Amino acid sequence: MISVELKKVILKELNLDDFDMTDETIAPQVPGWDSLNHVNIILAVEHHFKVKFKSYEVLRLKNVGDLQKLVDSKLGK
Amino acid sequence: MNDIYADKSKTLWERWQNNAKRNPDRDAIVHWVAGEEPFRWTYKNLTETAKKFSVRIAEAGVKPGDVCAIIIRHNSFFYPLYLGISRAAALPAVLAFPNPRLHPDKFRQGLEGMAQRSGLDYILTEKELEPMIRPLVEKPGSTIKAVFFPLEWDVTSEIDPKKDAEIEQISKSVKETEPMLLQHSSGTTGLQKPVVLSHRAILNHVTNLGEAFKLTENDKVATWLPLYHDFGLIACFHIPLSCGITTVQIDPFQWVLAPILLLEVISKEKATVTCLPNFAYNVLAEKIDDEELEGISLESLRLTVNAAEPIRHDSHEKFAERFKKYGLNPLALSGMYGMAEVTLGLTLTEPGKPISELQVDRNELSHGVMKPADKNSIVRVCVSSGKPIGGCEARIVDEHRKDVPDGLVGEVAVKSVSMFDGYRNYPEKTAEVVENGWYYSGDYGFKWKDEFYIIGRKKDIIIVAGKNIYPEDIEDVVNQVQDVDAGRVIAFGEEDPNMGTEQISVVAETKLTTEEDKKRIRLDILKAGMSIDMNIHKVYLVPPRWLIKSSSGKPSRKANKERLTEGTDPQVWSR
Repeated sequence: MISVELKKVILKELNLDDFDMTDETIAPQVPGWDSLNHVNIILAVEHHFKVKFKSYEVLRLKNVGDLQKLVDSKLGK
Repeated sequence: MNDIYADKSKTLWERWQNNAKRNPDRDAIVHWVAGEEPFRWTYKNLTETAKKFSVRIAEAGVKPGDVCAIIIRHNSFFYPLYLGISRAAALPAVLAFPNPRLHPDKFRQGLEGMAQRSGLDYILTEKELEPMIRPLVEKPGSTIKAVFFPLEWDVTSEIDPKKDAEIEQISKSVKETEPMLLQHSSGTTGLQKPVVLSHRAILNHVTNLGEAFKLTENDKVATWLPLYHDFGLIACFHIPLSCGITTVQIDPFQWVLAPILLLEVISKEKATVTCLPNFAYNVLAEKIDDEELEGISLESLRLTVNAAEPIRHDSHEKFAERFKKYGLNPLALSGMYGMAEVTLGLTLTEPGKPISELQVDRNELSHGVMKPADKNSIVRVCVSSGKPIGGCEARIVDEHRKDVPDGLVGEVAVKSVSMFDGYRNYPEKTAEVVENGWYYSGDYGFKWKDEFYIIGRKKDIIIVAGKNIYPEDIEDVVNQVQDVDAGRVIAFGEEDPNMGTEQISVVAETKLTTEEDKKRIRLDILKAGMSIDMNIHKVYLVPPRWLIKSSSGKPSRKANKERLTEGTDPQVWSR
């Protein structure tokens, strides 16, 4: 399940107060999360959690749940 | 003379075939997908498969002169399909595949607008879009004759030689002055202008822009540009294919998620030329981690062409600085200016030479005069777009279409041997912009020492990451948002220095006053933008009657943008 922390990072980057997000949420459903902004969100997540993603890992992400799993795997969770 | 321009074919198909005869085993197109082995079309395979598609297309009922809209994602069969349509003497028109956020009704509305305006006869697409497109085709009065799914067609088995010969005959009867393709500008409310280009216009352009790029047999193009955009289609597809060299095509959707892909391709394939809109220089320079760049070499790259949106000095600086240690020659950077109405390019800075830049007084420039900056000036760096390429002429004119002296700002007027044949089925629009063989671009700039500097637009088009967006499209949907005062909305572009492009801002009048209500209406405005696949970056909310009207009685985009971005009016809420 998407953590409060990850959701907060995404919402902050998108300048949103709140938006319902589940594991199945995909970027085009979230206001402001377009392809141009995607790279900024990924960088914000990397910066916040002090992790590094490889481009191929980013390409494989299908939804927010995948992003959460990727963060968790980098943090050894 | 360089061999790649010696061919005197009258049509594109003839030219592609000649290239296949000359260099059958040379790579024509390398179809790149991240993490997979690239698919390589040799000139021979590409044209042979195109022949099969042309037979299938003719069997499906497509006639010479019919317009075939192609709506297909990054797929290796796109290329022979495109060539096959041209061989069957029909006109390919490449359209963008809809983003999931685009509302199906809006997608259909846009397609319907295009069909009525340009007379799209057939839609060639993927099965996935059938539920979205089929109702449009079956709608009473639809001008679209049928929808096909060419990726499902069998193009592996042999074709009937008789049918093949018939199509070859049709292809040979096509004259160089006949239309070859149709290009659409972006937009969703019928504002799109379909540009028709003849074989001659494109072939002239291949020679003129190819020579300006100094292309030789040794060049190889690497690109992620979408092929529905003229920059991608002409510069990175038609030019290399006509010149008989290789183009490596990266999926635009993958590139934007993983910008490193372009650098990997350049490095692995030893590509020499790439084309990028300005924002891509920022993305590449600033959004890739050092670790990912390990092993990347850009030594082969001799030309990067910046076009499709204003060229920004800072973006070039960042790019050159970041990639110096990866072998990038800073003199590889060049700038181009052009438009679909002249096929693509009009002016280009000289490859291998530094780009001219002028430090000018921003205030004077806003009054139409290029004055070198002094110590009291607020400086604007103007980046040159170079000199007209072969076969093109350009002038700067005033509002009466009379020439203005060098250093004065005016509209760019253009004449080219690759001029379009007008907007299809839109003679009144063509007549507005073409006079005595000159096309009046609606772009503003000045000429200085024979070079052209583009500084803005007469029209209010917003350019986000190389994509032209009509503010009317955004205003239309935002006007329908609850609690927005209808007709009291404007959209405009605001510079985003971080991304090196413009972003969309919206200002709307509303009677709502509480913070909570304003946050809610902002979210509704963002969602309205999403429904037409437009990302609204900033929302300004103002009380009723705040917006300044223009002489036409409508809110003025320019005046209100200035008031918002300069002022500190406490009545303005923004986020």
